[in-house]
Amino acid sequence: MTLRSVFRAWNEFFFAEQSPTPIALFRILYGVLVIATLTLLRPDWLTWYGVHGWVSFPTAISLEPGTRLNLFSVIPQNDTWIEALFWISLAPAILLTIGFLTRLNSVLVFICLTSIQHRNPYITHGGDTFLRLAGFFLIFAPAGAALSVDRLIRIRRRKEPATLQPRSPWAQRMIQLQLALLYFVAFLLKAKGVPWVQGTALFYVYHLDELKRFPLPFWFLRPMVLKLGSWSALVLEFSLGVLVWVKEFRYILLTLGLLFHLWLEYSLNIPLFQWDILSAYVLFIDSDDLRRAGNWMARGMDAHFLRR
Amino acid sequence: MPSSADETKHSLENNPSEQAGIALEGVCKGNLPAIQKIAINVFLAFHMLAVACWCVPMDSPLIPLCRNLVRPYFLWSGLFQSWDMFAPIPKAVNTYIEAVVVYEDGSRKTWTLPRMEQLGLTERYFRERYRKFAENLQGDENDALLPDAARYIARLNTSSAKPVKTVILIQNYSFIVPGRDGPYVPEAWERHILLGYAVQPEDLR
Repeated sequence: MTLRSVFRAWNEFFFAEQSPTPIALFRILYGVLVIATLTLLRPDWLTWYGVHGWVSFPTAISLEPGTRLNLFSVIPQNDTWIEALFWISLAPAILLTIGFLTRLNSVLVFICLTSIQHRNPYITHGGDTFLRLAGFFLIFAPAGAALSVDRLIRIRRRKEPATLQPRSPWAQRMIQLQLALLYFVAFLLKAKGVPWVQGTALFYVYHLDELKRFPLPFWFLRPMVLKLGSWSALVLEFSLGVLVWVKEFRYILLTLGLLFHLWLEYSLNIPLFQWDILSAYVLFIDSDDLRRAGNWMARGMDAHFLRR
Repeated sequence: MPSSADETKHSLENNPSEQAGIALEGVCKGNLPAIQKIAINVFLAFHMLAVACWCVPMDSPLIPLCRNLVRPYFLWSGLFQSWDMFAPIPKAVNTYIEAVVVYEDGSRKTWTLPRMEQLGLTERYFRERYRKFAENLQGDENDALLPDAARYIARLNTSSAKPVKTVILIQNYSFIVPGRDGPYVPEAWERHILLGYAVQPEDLR
C-alpha cells in the first residue's frame, strides 16, 4: 500500500461520480419520516415544547448549556409561536419529500429538527438522532438531482437533459459512514457489557414491560434462544458496521439487517426508530439494482392493472 | 423528432448565460475545481475524525482532548450522538412514575405518568415519548427536571375550587431477575420518593 493508492482509494470512494437515484430515494424516505415524526408528536407539541410544558425552556437551557442552533431561543416564548414553528417545520419537510427547492428545504428541515431536539432532548430516541445527523449531511448532497420536482422544472426549462447526470457522492458517503458507525459503536458498547457477552442481555430487554409490543412466540424466550439472539445481535451490529463495505457481503448483510429491524419493530415499542435506520439502507444499494427493482415493480403493477 | 438531449443542446447554443451555468454545474459535478475539492476534503476529514472521537468508546488520553475541542461545534450544530441502546448493560428493572397530589383541603389522589404497557397499540405510537421522558426523569443527572415535572402535574390536577398544595413524585420499581428454572416471575414492586414539591401559587398559572 502506498500513500498514492490511499489517496486514489479516498478519491474513488468520495468523488467517483454515480447516479443520484439512491440519495434522491433516501431524501423521499427521510422526508416522509420527518413528517411522520412531527405528526406523531402533533397531539403533544405544546405538552413537550410549550411554555407550560413538561420541561420549561429555562430548565432545558440550564441542563444543556452552551450555544445551540435553536429557533426556540429566537421566537417569542408563547404557545402560538411555538405551534406555528411546528407547522412551519412541516412545510419544508413536505417540500423536501417532493424535491421542490430541495437544497433550501433540506437546510430548513435540519434547522427545525435540530431546534426541536435541542428544546427538549429528554424525549428523543436514537432514531431522532440519526434523522438529525443524516439531515446535516443531506444538505450537501445532490438530493434533488433525481426523482424531484426541481429536476422536472430543470428539464422543462431545458437546463438539464432527460437522462440522469452522475454526481459526486461524498455527502451520501458521509450518511453511509454515519450509519455504519452507529452499528459499530453499538457493537463496541455492547461488547463491554457482561450480559451481552454471557448472552443474557435479551432476557432483560424482552422483560421490560414498557417496551413490549406484540406477543412473542413461546420458544423465543427460552434461555438458549435468547443467548443465541444476544450474540447474533452483536455479530450483526459488527458486520453492519464493518463488513457492509465489502461488496460481496453487502446485500446479504442488508437483508439480515432488514429482518433484524423488522423483528425489533414487531417485538419492541420504539416507534419509528427501525424505519429511521432502515431508510438509509437504500444508500447502500447500487443504482442499477435500484433501477432494476423499480422496473420490476412497474412491470408488476402494469400486469396487475392490465389484468383488472 | 429531436431528443430532449438535442433540445437541451440547441437551447444552450442559443443561450450563452445558460451555457455558462451548465458549464459551472458540470465543473462542480464532476471535475471539481481544486480549491473546492480541498475544502470538501478538509470538511470530510474533520467530520469523520470528530464524529469518531465523539462516539467511539476508546481509552486514549487524546479522545477527551478531541471531544473538548469539537464540543462547542457539535453542541451548536446538533452533531452530538451516542449509540448506547441497551448497552453496555440493558436496564434490568421495570419502572413507572406516579405522583401523589395533595390538595389544600387535605385530600389526595394518585396520578400516573402514561405507562406504555397499559396503552393500546395506536396510542403507544403517539405517546411513546412518555416512556423516554420517564426514563430520563429517573436519571440522577436529570434531577433538575423533577420540579418542572411536579409543576406540570400540579397544573394538570388543580382547579380554582381545589388547588394543589403538594406533589410527591414516586418511582415504582421491580427488578427483573432471571429464574433458575421455570417461567419468569416478576419481583414485587418497591417505591422510592424522587421529589416532594411544595406548589407555589405562581406554579398554577
